[in-house]
Amino acid sequence: MERRADCSWWSGGKREGRRAPGKRTGPVKCPRERETKAVSREGKKGERPAKQTSYRKATETDRIGEKSIKRKGTQGFVCIFRRTVQDKMTGSDVRLSDEQVDLVHRLQHGKFGDINFNEYEPAIDFFSNEVMIHPVTNRPEDKRSFIPSLIEKEKVGKLVHAIKMGWIKPRRPKDSAPLYYDLWAKEDPNSILGRHKMHVPAPKIRLPGHEESYNPPPEYLLTEEERLAWEQQDPEERKLSLLPQKFPSLRAVPAFTRFIHERFERCLDLYLCPRQRKMRVNVNPEDLIPKLPKPKDLHPCTAGHSSLVRSISVAPGGQWLVSGSDDGTVRFWEVATARCLKTVEVGGAVKSVAWSPNPAVCLVAISHGNTVVLMNPGLGDRLILSATDQLISSYEEPTEVKDQPVEWSLAEGTEHQQGQRLILTHPRAVKQVTWHGKGDYLACVMPDVSSNVQVVIHQVSKRRTQNPFRKNKGMVQCVSFHPIRPYFFVATQRHVRVYNLIKQELTKKLMTNCKWVSSMAIHPGGDNVICGSYDCRVLTNSSTDPEHHKKALRGVAYHRQYPLFASGSDDGSVIVCHGMVYNDLLQNPLIVPVKVLKGHTITHDLGVLDVAFHPTQPWVFSSGADGTVRLFT
Amino acid sequence: MFSSSLSLFHVRFAIDDVPFSIPAASEVKDLSNVINKLLEFKIADHKHVEFDFLVRGQFLRTSLANHMETENISTEEVVEIEYVQKFTAPQPEECIMHDDWISSVEADSEWILTGSYDKTARIWSLEGKAVMTVAGHTDVVKDVAWVKRDGLSSLLLTASLDQTVLLWEWNSERNKVKARHCCRGHAGSVDTIAVDPTRTKFCSGSWDKMLKIWSAVPTEEEDEVEEPNRPRKKQKTEQMGLTRTPLMTLSGHGEAVSSVLWTDAEELCSASWDHTIRLWDAETGVQKSMLTGSKVFNCISYSPLCRRLASGSTDRHVRLWDPRSKDGSLVLLSLTSHTGWVTAVRWSLSNNHQLVSGSFDNVVKLWDIRSCKAPLYDLAAHEDRVMCADWTESGLILSGGADNKLYTYKYGTCVSDAGA
Repeated sequence: MERRADCSWWSGGKREGRRAPGKRTGPVKCPRERETKAVSREGKKGERPAKQTSYRKATETDRIGEKSIKRKGTQGFVCIFRRTVQDKMTGSDVRLSDEQVDLVHRLQHGKFGDINFNEYEPAIDFFSNEVMIHPVTNRPEDKRSFIPSLIEKEKVGKLVHAIKMGWIKPRRPKDSAPLYYDLWAKEDPNSILGRHKMHVPAPKIRLPGHEESYNPPPEYLLTEEERLAWEQQDPEERKLSLLPQKFPSLRAVPAFTRFIHERFERCLDLYLCPRQRKMRVNVNPEDLIPKLPKPKDLHPCTAGHSSLVRSISVAPGGQWLVSGSDDGTVRFWEVATARCLKTVEVGGAVKSVAWSPNPAVCLVAISHGNTVVLMNPGLGDRLILSATDQLISSYEEPTEVKDQPVEWSLAEGTEHQQGQRLILTHPRAVKQVTWHGKGDYLACVMPDVSSNVQVVIHQVSKRRTQNPFRKNKGMVQCVSFHPIRPYFFVATQRHVRVYNLIKQELTKKLMTNCKWVSSMAIHPGGDNVICGSYDCRVLTNSSTDPEHHKKALRGVAYHRQYPLFASGSDDGSVIVCHGMVYNDLLQNPLIVPVKVLKGHTITHDLGVLDVAFHPTQPWVFSSGADGTVRLFT
Repeated sequence: MFSSSLSLFHVRFAIDDVPFSIPAASEVKDLSNVINKLLEFKIADHKHVEFDFLVRGQFLRTSLANHMETENISTEEVVEIEYVQKFTAPQPEECIMHDDWISSVEADSEWILTGSYDKTARIWSLEGKAVMTVAGHTDVVKDVAWVKRDGLSSLLLTASLDQTVLLWEWNSERNKVKARHCCRGHAGSVDTIAVDPTRTKFCSGSWDKMLKIWSAVPTEEEDEVEEPNRPRKKQKTEQMGLTRTPLMTLSGHGEAVSSVLWTDAEELCSASWDHTIRLWDAETGVQKSMLTGSKVFNCISYSPLCRRLASGSTDRHVRLWDPRSKDGSLVLLSLTSHTGWVTAVRWSLSNNHQLVSGSFDNVVKLWDIRSCKAPLYDLAAHEDRVMCADWTESGLILSGGADNKLYTYKYGTCVSDAGA
């Protein structure tokens, strides 16, 4: 800037004079520039002292400048003068020729010195994309290009060694698994959580449906009423969480306003979702009840008796059933087919029948009137039958004859052929017979308030009879032997007394809280007793069952294997109860009524007279006043 | 009205295999009419034939829509409906009177053998003519079986409540029957007998929980019997043929054996009151497997055609089992229609889908296992409990009961019941 200002200053003063001498541009221009330099230095010098380092140079040029300035007055000398250069070698002035000046000019402009040189000559591509027929070099290939390189061999050897030693691992194959996360895929069972045994996979988001489309099919769009109903519903109750809407294009779909809300709900879902399954026993109360008879399963067993069937008893093997009736007959039935195999006329209304529980002996005790008949029915294994006969015939008369309350006699003639073996004549009518578990002792009940011989116990093998009680403690209803221990249960009208037969003493007295005990059965474990009473109740030894029966109970029975007991009543029904007894005597037995079986018709105001269980199957036999024996399976 | 397509063809009544659209409300009769119409187009002299239809192996009994709804078949897809010629109802043929209850019946191609509660077994011709009375048991005859026939002489077996099985030889020409062997060893009534496929052995099951295998070949010498203390029995034995003792005793059942059969030459199958069906190896006498039910089994039958075991039990159901299944206790199908104890089941000898069952509800039912909801036919001829049933190869159904009558029914099995 400063220099230009100088120039303008300089030219401002000298331009007039300079332009005037000639119109030549080229040659004139050059000296003027040189002059400019010189003059500017001069001007500078005038203003401020030049620097010391450039002083000598300045003096040299100044000399030339001085000379030119000296002759500045005459215009014709300018050109000649400016071509004169002092040769430093000789000290003489050399006048430059036109060519030399031109050369100087060219060099000064940075051009090539030779005037004939064309720097814009067209170029020739030696290496182009075109394949030449001649190679650049025609040198034959070296031998070393054909033999493996030793250096490379060494490098490869090192790599091979490194691979062998395991220092270098081959590149892992790229994982081809898709990069996206399949939201609805099943969870990998081998994942860490999946290895938990009871792992619950996170709940999946529902797949979007048509209604969530931006352009749903018209049937998914809600009508006006539906939309109103939707709006009135609680958000929890809505079937759809959003209103299906139709947009002309995807571009027109606005931002999803419920996005945060929805994310929050999803997070809540995941957070609240159970991570582990807890096993909880969900017991349906109905499942606790054993699967038991349906009234449909009612199996009309037998209808052979012409009068009411007082008593039934099942053989210990469960193949036979004996029934005694008021028509004076005892019938033997095959359980499987309900076939009456044998009918025996005993000559009097049969009050009670009992099959000996000893499986090695086949004996049935039948009571009618004053007599008790021991009968060999001739059913079952021949060996057992003959053993039974042998047992009875092997009896030897004792040397001293004791006075016995009961008369024992052998059956003869037709009675023997029928199967009757021993006839015991009692002083009074026998109401009930029952066997001891071993099958040798037999207890008979002759209820009579005025007598003290109400119960007698017979020993079959020795044909001996004893009266266990001296005193009369009320009218005896029924008796029973304890299945395991030497106890004897005697039920009077209101009490059940338990006697120890070995010590011959009263062990326990059970108060029944009822007016009239009709029947009694003892649990095969021996700890529990059930009583049926004429005032419609079933009693266990510690609790009273509410009144399920409408009329007087006639018979009760325990099942030998299943926790069941049955009671038969005058209302013609049999109630089967599931009675769980515990070893702990303090705990009350759990009693659940299971089924009411109705099958018997009521005749003469009497319904079911006796019930008995099959020894192995959950089947109930019941005998009724209508002369039938029924089997409920 | 939506439509389901029907594609059918049949061996004899073949129609083109083109899917049809059928109104969903159509029932068996409508479908039958469709087929008959199609057949009329195809065969000039076609007579009207009643057809029965199977949708996915189940007989169609209601309207098509109902059926598909209950069977969960989608109405969107093409449903193949098979059709078979309708099984004609069994025609009652004969009623053979007995003196007492009929406990068992077995028929071969010419003769019917029945066991009765009057302590005899009887031989009848298929036309119902009494041929022979086989008397000798001292108690009720519980089961009977044919062993084999050589020309005119036949071997037969009777099992009885008197704990014996008698092997009889019957000459049909001279009409003489002779007790060859008396099989003693059971300690309870012999309830069931079964002859093995080679006809040389038989097995008996008894109330004493035992199964015993005996030789069924009559010989001239008596087996050694160790019962010196029973001379009275011995005398009886001499009258009733030579005493025979069992080859093998299989014990394992906890209660009375109610039914026994041979599934093949080496395998025995027995059903019992202890709620189990057991399979035994007849060579070694080892129990192979056990099927456990929940109720007393009264009878079983095995069909070699479909390899299924059918059992009748006291809870009114006929159940089908696969005896080969190792994990056991798998009921394939329950057929429920009876209202009393099922006392007899018998597979058809020629048709692998059909069986008969007899029950204490006085009815014999004919079942097709493809229609498990209801039986094909109820044969309600008996007036008392049905105790036994059998099926001959010629398609004769026999049933005997406590009304002392043996009924025979002619049941024309279809000429070609293999629809597709």
